[in-house]
Amino acid sequence: MSKTNAWHLRDIILLTLIAIFFGVIYWVIGPLYNLLTVALTPVGLGPAANDILMGVWVMAGPLAGYVFRKVGAATLGEFLGAVVEMFFGGQWGASTMISGVVQGLGSELGFALTGYKRYDWTSLGLSVVTTTIVTFGWDLFRNGYAAYHIGLLVALFVIRLASTFIFAGVLTRAITNLLDRTHLLSRRSA
Amino acid sequence: MNPTLKFVLAVLIALEISFTSSWTVNVILAVIGLVIILAARPGWKRLLSLIFWPLIPAVALAVAILMQSRSTGNTQFAIVLFTRIYAYVFIGSAATLTTPIYELVMSLEQNAHVPTKFAYGFLGGFNLMPKIVTEVKTIRVAALMRGETLHFWSPQLYFKAIIAALRWSENLAEAMTSHGFVEDAPRTHRVTVRIRSRDWIIAIGSLILLQGLLFGLHLA
Repeated sequence: MSKTNAWHLRDIILLTLIAIFFGVIYWVIGPLYNLLTVALTPVGLGPAANDILMGVWVMAGPLAGYVFRKVGAATLGEFLGAVVEMFFGGQWGASTMISGVVQGLGSELGFALTGYKRYDWTSLGLSVVTTTIVTFGWDLFRNGYAAYHIGLLVALFVIRLASTFIFAGVLTRAITNLLDRTHLLSRRSA
Repeated sequence: MNPTLKFVLAVLIALEISFTSSWTVNVILAVIGLVIILAARPGWKRLLSLIFWPLIPAVALAVAILMQSRSTGNTQFAIVLFTRIYAYVFIGSAATLTTPIYELVMSLEQNAHVPTKFAYGFLGGFNLMPKIVTEVKTIRVAALMRGETLHFWSPQLYFKAIIAALRWSENLAEAMTSHGFVEDAPRTHRVTVRIRSRDWIIAIGSLILLQGLLFGLHLA
């Protein structure tokens, strides 16, 4: 979209709308998370549900980063999505806002590493990796992952990386490809 | 309490208990949160779902620690994780249930000096929430009529929603501009939101008390 870094009213509204849309999605997959968690808890693998679905929860960041191509877009998009989810009555309460910022900064880092110049698989791929590492680091503390034995930690990390790759990588790329074909985003910057 | 300070306080508390492991503090925070929630008189359904749904991640995390941790006998940490989830949820809901989003945004604009274009742009977008929920349903039904089912992993679902959002954002921004909204222009306020000294005392007092509790219980 625009090459400038200034946010205009319509950008802010669009970002909010995208965030709300993702807030709705996050909220909708809540039951799926609960189902998976209940199924995995008896074998002590309940937290894996979090890692399996992580990719869906971090999609708003890379998508906003790609659509707006501005500094802070990924963080703001992911954060607003989290705020919306919290007001919907998500089951994580106040920590949702922190998670939103952590996830947003994670995906932002990927775009920042390319200097906000590349919007292709390089930046998206980097974003997938940074998101996985940053959110996993946060879960080491928040969800007590740090206490698990090393085998489980590696397994959870790999699951999370795969999930983030599928949703925040492949799916986001598919969406942005569809958007690119409409030329709506390039027309907006004119 | 001033909305900005309330949310800052809730986030700071959540952040602090993420890095500390005191189940007593978690329980105290959860109880305080629950009292504030009850004082806001939510419906029975809301209240029960607030108590029930966090049970799932809370039990999952606690069981995982008991079964999967490196050292055995980590019951203490399992209880910490279990109570931590409830502290998060009750403190968070104590803030969200007592603050209409409009008041929060007004406070963020006037007290936290968030640029007006962000405050009103966000508010404008937020008011379209029911339309977005309807749009998602419309998109899925429209696809069903062609014999396609759109799941949360279907790019088409997101694509169509973003196209709708693009159109709405243009329209809404134009509507706001034609009603006299100018980006970055100074504004006057019909309702002014202030941070009273009482708000500061509650916020800083709570934080000091929290440090005291965490530190005191650690030493004990």
